[in-house]
Amino acid sequence: MSTPSPLASARRSTELGLVVMAGAITAAAYTVASLGKNAEIPPIILPFLGVTLGLLVLASIATRILARGADPTLLPLAALLHGIGYVMITRLDDRLAGLQTTWTFIAIAAYIAVLFVVQRTTDLAHQTWTFFAIGAGLLLLPLVPGIGRSFGGARIWVSIGPINFQPGEFAKICLALFFAGYLAERRELIAANTWKVGPFRLPEPRHLLPIALAWAFSVVVMVGLKDLGASLLFFTLFVVMLWVATERTSFLVIGTVLFAGAAYVAWRTFGNVQTRVAIWLDPWPQYEGRGYQIVQAMFALSNGGIDGTGLGLGSPNKIPEVKNDFIFAAIGEELGLMGATAVLIAFMLIIGAGLRIATRAERPFEKILATGLTTIIGLQAFIIIGGVIRVVPLTGITLPFVSYGGSSLLANYILLALLMRISDSSARRLGEVPDDLTIGERFEARTAARRERRDAKRARKAVG
Amino acid sequence: MNTRIRRLAVGLLVCYLALFVQLNILQVGREEELTSDPRNDRQTIRDFNRPRGPIISADGVVLALSEPVDDPGAELEYQRVYPKGSLFGNVTGYYTFAFGSTQVEKQHSDVLAGTTSQQQIKGLSDLFSGQDLSGSVVLNIRADVQQVVADALGGREGSVVVLEPSTGDVIAMYSFPTYDPNQVVVPDGQQATDVFDFLNAYPGKPLLANTYQERYMPGSSFKVITTGIALENGVTTLERSWPSEKEWVPPQTTDPIQNYGGTSCGGTMVEVFFRSCNIPFAQMAVELGPERMVAGTRAWGIGERLPIDMPGAVASSFGEVEDFTDQLPLLAIGGFGQGNDVMVPMHMAMVAATVANGGKMMAPQVVDVTRFHDGSVLERSEPQVWKTPISPTTAATLNSLMVGVVNQGTGRQMQLAGGIQAAAKTGTAQLNATGEPQRSHAWIIGFAPAEAPRYAIAVMLKGTNDEISAGTGGKLAGPIAKQILDYLFATEATAAAAPPTDPATVPPTPAAAP
Repeated sequence: MSTPSPLASARRSTELGLVVMAGAITAAAYTVASLGKNAEIPPIILPFLGVTLGLLVLASIATRILARGADPTLLPLAALLHGIGYVMITRLDDRLAGLQTTWTFIAIAAYIAVLFVVQRTTDLAHQTWTFFAIGAGLLLLPLVPGIGRSFGGARIWVSIGPINFQPGEFAKICLALFFAGYLAERRELIAANTWKVGPFRLPEPRHLLPIALAWAFSVVVMVGLKDLGASLLFFTLFVVMLWVATERTSFLVIGTVLFAGAAYVAWRTFGNVQTRVAIWLDPWPQYEGRGYQIVQAMFALSNGGIDGTGLGLGSPNKIPEVKNDFIFAAIGEELGLMGATAVLIAFMLIIGAGLRIATRAERPFEKILATGLTTIIGLQAFIIIGGVIRVVPLTGITLPFVSYGGSSLLANYILLALLMRISDSSARRLGEVPDDLTIGERFEARTAARRERRDAKRARKAVG
Repeated sequence: MNTRIRRLAVGLLVCYLALFVQLNILQVGREEELTSDPRNDRQTIRDFNRPRGPIISADGVVLALSEPVDDPGAELEYQRVYPKGSLFGNVTGYYTFAFGSTQVEKQHSDVLAGTTSQQQIKGLSDLFSGQDLSGSVVLNIRADVQQVVADALGGREGSVVVLEPSTGDVIAMYSFPTYDPNQVVVPDGQQATDVFDFLNAYPGKPLLANTYQERYMPGSSFKVITTGIALENGVTTLERSWPSEKEWVPPQTTDPIQNYGGTSCGGTMVEVFFRSCNIPFAQMAVELGPERMVAGTRAWGIGERLPIDMPGAVASSFGEVEDFTDQLPLLAIGGFGQGNDVMVPMHMAMVAATVANGGKMMAPQVVDVTRFHDGSVLERSEPQVWKTPISPTTAATLNSLMVGVVNQGTGRQMQLAGGIQAAAKTGTAQLNATGEPQRSHAWIIGFAPAEAPRYAIAVMLKGTNDEISAGTGGKLAGPIAKQILDYLFATEATAAAAPPTDPATVPPTPAAAP
């Protein structure tokens, strides 16, 4: 079917081995958590181990078929984080385990589906404004009367029948695709700074304006929905992608100044923002009120110490929202500084792998997209972990792969699949693996060949 | 673009380093501060989920231990058990989830939990094995003596303290009413609340160790202190004598002072001491005057919290100089333990022990030694001199005066078996005003053998009922002190004759309800 490639099979074997290890760690943690909590080995441990390994091996095999040259560490890292998160969620609340399991199946299926549908990155590069339309639509979806829902002050949910989801999780991927497509096309024009205003040379407004407006629109919508975490992530994502694409440090400076201004305005305008900043600086006076969560998170972390209380042996349920935004505090309590550091390292490795994919990519679109997608994961994890441990003010946002929540899990696996696709694409271009035809291309080729034969036959008939 | 991407990587790396640093600050640097915050009960939950070391009596009886709970669904994994129940309730105290802890459980909580820095350092080599580091606490109190004390008190309200005079070791410390700590450490929160409500409302304050957390009027037993101060100040000598009088009117009043029972009383220093006349001691107090009298009581440690190695000790009280300057009659009756005087039973045992110990008052010590999880010594208590209120000469004089009380005075009930010479002073503290029904505490303090004292004792019975109020310190408290001291000397004799039996096999006695 495809040309044999020793490097590709080596990568996939490495991945398979690491994925099995991640699965084993998850199953072991699941057992330990159950022992700690109920003093018994869970009766479903064998089926659990089987399904976990089955799913991960399936994802790895799909990668072997669909993106065999891709980076071998991304999937195992995601699987490890996902596993730790799953164990923590089931340990925190048994009732959520079933739902999270369902979402796990859907997420892995989505990962495979994206790898199957998107076989060439060029398929994405030409859909620039389509992705903006989808992204903007998703952002606005919660505002549609009847299906939009607010939880905890932010109107970021959509309910259709029994399914609740956060369209914002998918919107950020669409918008990253839009930025990447747009910037890949016009980055040189923007960077040229051909518009003279007095002594300053600025980018041509007709090149910069569309993207600036699109970005401003998105940020305004997110702020309007009171989704502060997403606004912060999105703001930074845009500045980073613009800076990397144009190689103009001035954008970074302008971005920072704009951010400072926006932050100040937000601080002056929204009481909500003021409270968050006050709690970040000193949560103790508000222990009985809105500072409770963060103080409890600090208590949880200190209770964990270096080696943690052990899974199932801490009291993480004292923290409200521990399964969503504060799951990192639960990890820090029960797995200690060591477990929490392992999670940090896992995210750093994902960032490392993602940015390596970006540097190896040749096409600007792939480079910018890989940078953007990696920044989403790395920054999102930083914003929420930093919020929980008071490095930055707390803004509600999920911890990628770890937090409870279907939308988040699904979106992050889609993001992962896109990174894998870019990685595989570079491997082909660099000649590390043979640039065989994709399944779609083979199908097209067969169809074309058949048509050719038919045409040839017809021609012969006509001649004959 | 690659340069920018690498810079981005460095930027994100710095962000994550910040996270790592803050994690270290929270989980290592500020761990202790955050863990000890009163709003953080995770530590308590954790403490209840791991074993806690035992409290053991001097004779090896386990007084408190943690037993694993069999029920896997239980919130807490260990249950604190007090095998001796109410006998040691006011010594061990309790260790509860919702109501905190008291007594030894509180004082040595860190040792029992294994969280002192020494224990942590010793356990450092097996940081990850989760080894049980809980230490143990061994008391100076003997379970057998404590039992004899409880039996001798026989359900009457009062306190008994037995000390080793030269070291301050507490050999027995018991008061009634008491309570059974097993009833307050029940896992059911509502039940525990009910028990606490009941005990808090119960008269006689069973939750307090009455031996060192309550104060009572001392009556004539205070004359030991007055005589000590007078001897030190040269206001009296063994040679001084007083005329036999029925009453005496102190300065600043017309209201006369009488002797106990309104009798005529007088004679030499020895006689007025063993007959416990009131007038001579009232006169000595007035002759000393407010300054010297108050300074003298301070030298005996009155007005200071007792230096016992237990939480929540209280201070005895005599009064301030200003209280007496214009109130000499109050000073006069204070001289024989009436009026404003209130003494902690433990303190009165220390007074007797001071005379026995040649004038040095030792700090009382309930705990002998704390041990690591492996049994090696963590900390051994060293004898400490707290006060030196009287010279050895004065101590010898007081000793002879107190011998007189046992041989020919109000304390004849304390004449010991086997011809062992005891020394004592009785007290009958009158609580009622003139004309009201008789109410009095009965006291005796003393030590034995008089020539080389090994035990000092204080017995007080509260004047809460007619039987005690009708009697005197000598008649009521004297026999109790004799019974306890006789037992102590008898066990010394058996111990000398035969090797000691394993005290751990002593069957636990059923716990008495408060």
